[in-house]
Amino acid sequence: MTTAAPEARRLVYRRPSLLTEQSTHYCPGCGHGIIHRLVAELLDELQLGPRTIGVASVGCSVFAYDYLAVDFVESPHGRAPAVATGVRRMRPDAFVFTYQGDGDLAAIGTAEIVHAAARGERFSVIFVNNGIYGMTGGQMAPTTLLGQRTTSSPTGRDARTAGYPIPITEMLAIMTGVSYAARGSIADPAAIGKTKAMLKRAFEIQLAGGGLTLVEILSNCPVGWGMTPAESMDHVAHDVVETYPLGVIVDRLKAAAPAPAEIPTQTETPA
Amino acid sequence: MIAPTTRPAGPAAGPEAPVSEPPRPILMKGNEAIAEAAIQAGCDAYFGYPITPQAELLEWMARRMPELGRVFVQAESELAAINMALGAAACGARVLVSSSSPGISLMAEGMSYMAGSELPVVLVNVMRGGPGLGSIGPSQSDYFQATKGHGHGDYRVPVLAPSSIVEAVALVADAFELAERYRTPTMILADGVMGQAMEPVIPSYRTPAHDASEWALSGADGRPPRVLRSLNLNPEDLEAHNQRLQAKYATIAEREVRWAEESLDDADIAVVAYGTAARVARTAIERARHDGLRAGLFRPITLWPFPSGALNAAAIRLRAIVVVELSAGQLVEDVRLAVGSTCPVYFHGRTGGMVPTPGEVVEVLRRVATATARNGAPA
Amino acid sequence: MAVAVPRSTPGAPIVPAFEPLEIAAERCKGCELCIRACPKHCLALDSTIVNPLGYHPIRLTDAGACTSCALCARVCPDAVFTVFAPPRSGGST
Repeated sequence: MTTAAPEARRLVYRRPSLLTEQSTHYCPGCGHGIIHRLVAELLDELQLGPRTIGVASVGCSVFAYDYLAVDFVESPHGRAPAVATGVRRMRPDAFVFTYQGDGDLAAIGTAEIVHAAARGERFSVIFVNNGIYGMTGGQMAPTTLLGQRTTSSPTGRDARTAGYPIPITEMLAIMTGVSYAARGSIADPAAIGKTKAMLKRAFEIQLAGGGLTLVEILSNCPVGWGMTPAESMDHVAHDVVETYPLGVIVDRLKAAAPAPAEIPTQTETPA
Repeated sequence: MIAPTTRPAGPAAGPEAPVSEPPRPILMKGNEAIAEAAIQAGCDAYFGYPITPQAELLEWMARRMPELGRVFVQAESELAAINMALGAAACGARVLVSSSSPGISLMAEGMSYMAGSELPVVLVNVMRGGPGLGSIGPSQSDYFQATKGHGHGDYRVPVLAPSSIVEAVALVADAFELAERYRTPTMILADGVMGQAMEPVIPSYRTPAHDASEWALSGADGRPPRVLRSLNLNPEDLEAHNQRLQAKYATIAEREVRWAEESLDDADIAVVAYGTAARVARTAIERARHDGLRAGLFRPITLWPFPSGALNAAAIRLRAIVVVELSAGQLVEDVRLAVGSTCPVYFHGRTGGMVPTPGEVVEVLRRVATATARNGAPA
Repeated sequence: MAVAVPRSTPGAPIVPAFEPLEIAAERCKGCELCIRACPKHCLALDSTIVNPLGYHPIRLTDAGACTSCALCARVCPDAVFTVFAPPRSGGST
């Protein structure tokens, strides 16, 4: 079998066209790279590139506009859902998303996301939760786990002074204006596949005219956590999910399940 | 409704009077008159939050904008409102936001971002007493905030100061034009008196042309993606950007200065005042003239760029200047800067929502006249 | 663009006629998430190279072991992998 002209090998996977050529500034093994790639893949697959307007926020992902080849507007820290509201109201035909970290969405921007959800604004929120403020050097986030050491909780997060990790997605899910709220992770290939399916469902609901769609993605911060990339993914897979369980929290447009899912209780008991 | 990024200039979209007869005036509350003027000027979107004394502006917009198929959102805070405006402006919309002093403070962040990203918006501040929660009475104590940058960073915004509701109506179209011509946030500085009072307004409006198609976000369909941002971590690049912004502000300062002079040609003493203070001063000057005192009014209409050159030229002929403000003294600093040692500058102000009376101002003019005559200051 | 070159071992089966992976080594940050994900353990960092970003880039160590499952591409934060399956009618193995 050596003389026949070799047939073409079959392409299984290629880097999505909507990722720019620029190498990212993200640390080795950072989940942002994976999530950007998933977004680019979906925008490619759904052919949304030409009508997408993204809203970049403040955090490590502040340069998302350098890596995804779509129209972008920069938003002040936390304000992305308000900026996206302005975009959506002026551009009914655009595909609109925000890309926000845990500080952006669950600390400084809590009012803006709650009210965008209340209004049922038709855009998709990609919420990257890595339980830390990476860009500013690794401080505590609202989603930092109890006992987790960060530069502003050096002896470990203590509920008595710093409170409990905020289950913001569960909180938002009870609102009628939220058509879809789900939590995935990027800890391993299977989780990445499920997260991509969640993003796709969110995007499709937006295209179908639904309300706010939110996908929280448990991600990592190897440098901030003081772990190797592989260790950090293990931490997400085994530890973070104890506080932030994976799954679809609500999917109001799904005919079979119109009622919101039962809100899971927090596993930490008050001190 | 898809907001157009281009709109040709046209006649008023409002009721058109027959050619032979001028339109009849309508008695309108200031807040509502400003709102309607924005609508007639082609405002695509309004974002705001209720705050006294400008809630009627928001309420007028709440009723009229949906009637016209345009965008109205009562945001959850002034912080959210200015950011919604940022998003809408990024898409090329003609956007109005309004608030009053404490809410304007919340908008400082958004205004800085919009200045840095070069996005147009018209922001109306119906000033009230401060600082803090203050009062709902009128004030002019946000002059520094409006003219000295308001938010962080090296930037200025054009600030237009009407002294009557009729003038405010005309300045709304001018404000949109300025904002879009220079891609900059622009402010209209009004006060609680103007917002709440009623005046006869002639419903004849101007709709400035509008074309944001070269820079606005619309989806990268058949063109490279556009990014509207203010971040630039490279110092050389950010300095170059700042230099471009400064060049823009220099151009605005060169071309867009406005002021008005009343009875100034033969005046010995000039009152320098804007907004409601200018109206009070006008009455005071009439009374003073009646009593033989040659007083006049120098009224800045653009607070930034400040009419320094014109004021300096006028000061050469004057014995004294009296600055009247509804504040503890903010405009007076720019007056002193412009006038230098050319002539003495006096100040009369009321704070807390109090409005100076013409009688007070006349008394000040008399005392200043006496003081400067005694000192033998040059005529 | 760097291309993965299968290593030939004396006595080993014939080297496959196709390359299952094309690796943009200049983008790789050596994070090793692909190594963790690869079920065939045929990826390793190439410590003889330092790429322009300053990292040892990933290298396919045994093209014959690769099944084109593309899990490496799925976990890669820098999208360095292009993955191919063998031609339908021929190729190795």
